[in-house]
Amino acid sequence: MFTIDKPLPSPTEDTEGYWDATREGKLVVSTCASCAHRFLPPAKICPKCLSSEVSFQPVSGRGRVFSWIVVHRPQHPAFLEDAPYNVVIVELDEGPRMHGRLVPETDLSAVSVGLPVEVTYQKINDQITLPMFKAATGT
Amino acid sequence: MSRHPLKGTHALAGVGLSRFGKVWGTSCLGFTLEACKNAIEDCGIPRDEIDGCLVSMPAIMGEQHGWATRIAAHLGLEPRLACTMDMGGATPIGMIQTAALYIEAGMANAVICCFGMQNNPQGIMPQLFGSQFAIPYGDIGAITFMGHVARRQMHLYGYTGPQYGEIASAFREHASRNPSAQKREPFTVEDHQRSPYIVEPLRLLDCCLVTDGGGAVIVTSLERARDLKQPAVVIAGAGQEHGAEMIFPAPQRNQAPSGAGAARAAFGMAGVLPHDVDVALLYDGFTPLVMHELEAFGFAKHGEVGPWVATGALRLGGELPTNTHGGLLSEGHLFGVGHITEGMRQIRRSAGERQVQDAEVVFVTGFGGAPHEAPPTLSYTTLVLTQDR
Repeated sequence: MFTIDKPLPSPTEDTEGYWDATREGKLVVSTCASCAHRFLPPAKICPKCLSSEVSFQPVSGRGRVFSWIVVHRPQHPAFLEDAPYNVVIVELDEGPRMHGRLVPETDLSAVSVGLPVEVTYQKINDQITLPMFKAATGT
Repeated sequence: MSRHPLKGTHALAGVGLSRFGKVWGTSCLGFTLEACKNAIEDCGIPRDEIDGCLVSMPAIMGEQHGWATRIAAHLGLEPRLACTMDMGGATPIGMIQTAALYIEAGMANAVICCFGMQNNPQGIMPQLFGSQFAIPYGDIGAITFMGHVARRQMHLYGYTGPQYGEIASAFREHASRNPSAQKREPFTVEDHQRSPYIVEPLRLLDCCLVTDGGGAVIVTSLERARDLKQPAVVIAGAGQEHGAEMIFPAPQRNQAPSGAGAARAAFGMAGVLPHDVDVALLYDGFTPLVMHELEAFGFAKHGEVGPWVATGALRLGGELPTNTHGGLLSEGHLFGVGHITEGMRQIRRSAGERQVQDAEVVFVTGFGGAPHEAPPTLSYTTLVLTQDR
């Protein structure tokens, strides 16, 4: 049968450290040694102070829902089988915001902006593991 | 304060749209040329006087570099200046501003600014665009981005679905008076609320149309424009702002809504204030973008746009007649050239059943960039247009 694969990340020299980390079940963000700014998406130069002393450093994986949407009509045919599906933007406790998805067992009627979440991982293949999110447990 | 050197010295002399809607039988190139021909005929400028050619990058249609020079060649021009520009839907106004600068600097006399877009036949898969940090989750295109913008507005200000619906309903009512609009059947706020979710919280009627077509505007000095066929439409103010703030604040920015600077620049140059605007033509890819612009550009107070819109303020006869042609939401997605064209009609007094009486100050905006990227990059362009006095 003819199927269309979902688009997957193509890591670049600037981003492969991020995807290397998720493969090992760690979430990292670009961190500036000069001004301590932490940011995503990754880059080799700090957007705040233009220092080149930027490396990937681990974060807690905890944050809050900054925004969430439910896609009913996907713009790409590979996602038709998932629809309706959610996409969240999470603001990490350390500051940066990132896209993600709440795991399928999430009760969407209980989701709102500000909901505490924590990262979990979905292995796609030997190269790519996607960070996902679930409602935070504990405090 | 000294007078801005570009204030009132250049004009939109001619304008042309191609056939648009779901149009078969021609290409992105064909639509572009058709619009250019119509713009040249509109103002009657001798073709060999056009010595600048600016064209918007048809990014998702697979065209290669050198596009502007190719368009010029197809028009039989050998311009002194040709450049392909890429700011998404902010490009048409950006091209007009660039044209005025070229002319002011003596590097061109008359510049044609144009675009073409072909989405039909459907089934051509647009080149996948977006970030490796968003696409794997199915967050693809401008529509998901605007869903997030709406979610944030609803969370921060309590805007409601019917308030977004009022924007769409008002523009459709205007389109019902525009014989060339793609969608002319009026709908109510209740109809909007019954339309299906596309990307919740966005419903079908919050989203712009998909349109094949092209548009072109000819910019020249006000002096030259006065001798051409149509009343000159004067460029009184212009501004731009580029950023990424709506979702991912850049660390060096303040917290003013993104785009505010583009309007401030245009109003400042023209010497007018938002309340002087008689007709607003706001780039309206999606209803939450209109909400955002109304606040960012100073038409309504912070967090009060939704209730203000719900009073009918954007309708013809309302406080701020907006998108009197129907906009991207109902006239068709003409990349903002439809907005510029309508602004010219309002100034020329040729807007027919939707003419705003005595319209003196028209404010036109463009918006684009790559909102589907992470971080989303946003470009705002603005124009204040006035009559020649």
